Amino acid sequence: MDTQNQYVVRLENVHKSYALGKTEVQALQGVSFDILKGDFISIAGPSGSGKTTVLNLIGCVDTASSGLVSVLGQRTDTLNDEKLTALRHKGVGFIFQTFNLIPVLNIRENIELPALLDGTDLGMSKSEREEWVAHLIESVGLEDRMNHKPAELSGGQRQRVAIARALVMRPPLVLADEPTANLDSATGESILELMKRMNREFGTTFIFSTHDAGIVAIADHVIRLKDGKVVENRRVDEKAAV
Amino acid sequence: MIAAKMAWGNLFLHKAKSLLLGTIMCLGIAILFVGNSLIDTAIGGLRKMFVEGFTGDLMVTGPTAFPTTIFGETAGGEQVIPHIAKFPDYEKFLASEKGVAATLPLLGGQVEMGLGEQVIGRGSAFGVDVERYKSFFSGNVTIVDGAWPNKGDPAWIVISETSAAMLSRAAGKKIGPGGKIILSAMGDTAGIVIREVKVAGIVRFNQSNQQLARISLVDADTMRDLLGFASLRDTAVKLTPDQQQFVTAFDPGSLFDNPAPAADSTAQSASAANAGAASKPESSAAGIVPVPAWQYLLVKLDPGASASKVLADLTKYSAGIDQGDHVQDWIAGAGTVARTAVTIRLIFDLMIFIVAVIVIMITMNVLVVSISERVPEIGTLRALGAKRQFIRKMILLETTFLAVLAGAFGLLLGYFILLLMKKSGIAAPNLYFEAIFAGKKLVPVISLSGAIKAFLWIFGMSILSSLYPIALALRIKPVVAMQGE
Repeated sequence: MDTQNQYVVRLENVHKSYALGKTEVQALQGVSFDILKGDFISIAGPSGSGKTTVLNLIGCVDTASSGLVSVLGQRTDTLNDEKLTALRHKGVGFIFQTFNLIPVLNIRENIELPALLDGTDLGMSKSEREEWVAHLIESVGLEDRMNHKPAELSGGQRQRVAIARALVMRPPLVLADEPTANLDSATGESILELMKRMNREFGTTFIFSTHDAGIVAIADHVIRLKDGKVVENRRVDEKAAV
Repeated sequence: MIAAKMAWGNLFLHKAKSLLLGTIMCLGIAILFVGNSLIDTAIGGLRKMFVEGFTGDLMVTGPTAFPTTIFGETAGGEQVIPHIAKFPDYEKFLASEKGVAATLPLLGGQVEMGLGEQVIGRGSAFGVDVERYKSFFSGNVTIVDGAWPNKGDPAWIVISETSAAMLSRAAGKKIGPGGKIILSAMGDTAGIVIREVKVAGIVRFNQSNQQLARISLVDADTMRDLLGFASLRDTAVKLTPDQQQFVTAFDPGSLFDNPAPAADSTAQSASAANAGAASKPESSAAGIVPVPAWQYLLVKLDPGASASKVLADLTKYSAGIDQGDHVQDWIAGAGTVARTAVTIRLIFDLMIFIVAVIVIMITMNVLVVSISERVPEIGTLRALGAKRQFIRKMILLETTFLAVLAGAFGLLLGYFILLLMKKSGIAAPNLYFEAIFAGKKLVPVISLSGAIKAFLWIFGMSILSSLYPIALALRIKPVVAMQGE
């Protein structure tokens, strides 16, 4: 299969270091992998292994110290802040560990928010957009809560809102940083199932990080990190690639 | 729209911050509104009183060492303000200057009033051309007794109502139209000059204060004699044959038992001039038409005309003439009272400026704290695709909403305070404030422009104080969104 055009993300020999006081911390050391369109990928590993750093680089919210990061066919090191913002806006959806909903907006507005930033029209009329938002609300099962504020929802409900918000721009790629970390196991499981369903329904590539070995199994592509290095990179139907 | 909604929501989400900033802005705008209205009212009243009653909009004065006022107050210590040598040139220039409605020549000085040898009062007297004076200050002068003198009437005085009462009290009898009083003044060159004048009428200055209410109007030639400009009169002095003989035969040296030589005609003519007894203006002897002396030239402008432009033009023209004359506005012409009011305005503005700096610092500090509390929220917005402009717009809108809300409450508060003040008026505690208030009470005028000015000031401060916090917010990177709330 020609996978060249199927890649949504490609990392080649990526290094990332942080200054922590006077010492330099090597968060990533020569990380390389590719992610195919439509995959449901788990970036696994213990705390401090570099999972969030990888997601930051893929999500274009941070830049690598060296190496190549390509997202949706664009090398991120060649883009300025404005272009990176545009790439994030149109190409990447985010699901945060702490939900990060806007407290002053209700659920419907929170979900619709990315579509309203900077006058983006999503290529659809206002009524079409509202229909799409309503569909997403229905998909995450929050029809009866759409006029509530985030503070009035449970953790699981908030994460459902975050999932719907991540999908509102119809991005090819959704990143979820430990999406179940702040949820109880049953809720976490339902959130992962919802993400998987969205992955199938919309064909969106989902990349989620987790340190919970139990939920890695749901992924069809697992990239395991340890001390900033890839120690396992396998599709569920393959043996480990590293 | 979504930025506005978020900005509006944030105001209520961060209630304590909004309340603190809102209260500061509300009080600030109320103080500005009330303070500016009071000062505007006082200065407006003073302006109306002086411009329409005493100084005109602009004024040219003779060449004193330092600029002088309409009352002859000057730091140069001149006893008498010199006359404007090229007076007709100014009148000619002003006749063609755009925006000039009228001009008025004037003489002024301090005179002593008496009955026989009894001094019954002192005060300022203006030497005027009665017809031009009446026309120039038509709205401010009303004859309450007697009548205006006719043009050409000799040696007359029109006493103010206040002066008439004071003089009558001092004299022990009514001083009024038809009576005669003695005026005397100390001139620069002529020594003490004494003239008898007939009281033509009693005048009321419709707008005045303690100082202005005591001004008397005297015919120009009498005033010239009193000030030592006897040789620069409109008309020659008419002497009776006895007086003429006395002047001709008078030998000053005889007073000192030292007859003057017959050839010393200089002393004789000087004496004659000093006594105001020249039979004709001095210059006419040389075949030059004499220019009647005027110390002041007041200028009234058309409504809406630019005083600063006419002032600049006139100043330039005066500099070209190079006589050392002074050109000034009504504030300089009005003297201490107007300057004090303007100084109070400057002090108020300075205080406002200092308070503004403090308010800006407080507001900026609160906003910085607010931004630091919202780092994850702003980071999330950036991660979701919000451009820097969106963040800037959101914070600016937040400040704007707060300023508008606080501004509305502040204006309402200020309006009610002004209404209360307007109802009772602020009584002047002493004569000094009576002068500044241009009356016994200051009744504030509530002006829309004052309200707008106060609002714009607060609005500007709000925007200014949000610039640094906005700069901080724009530095927040989207990566902080991944670091949790």
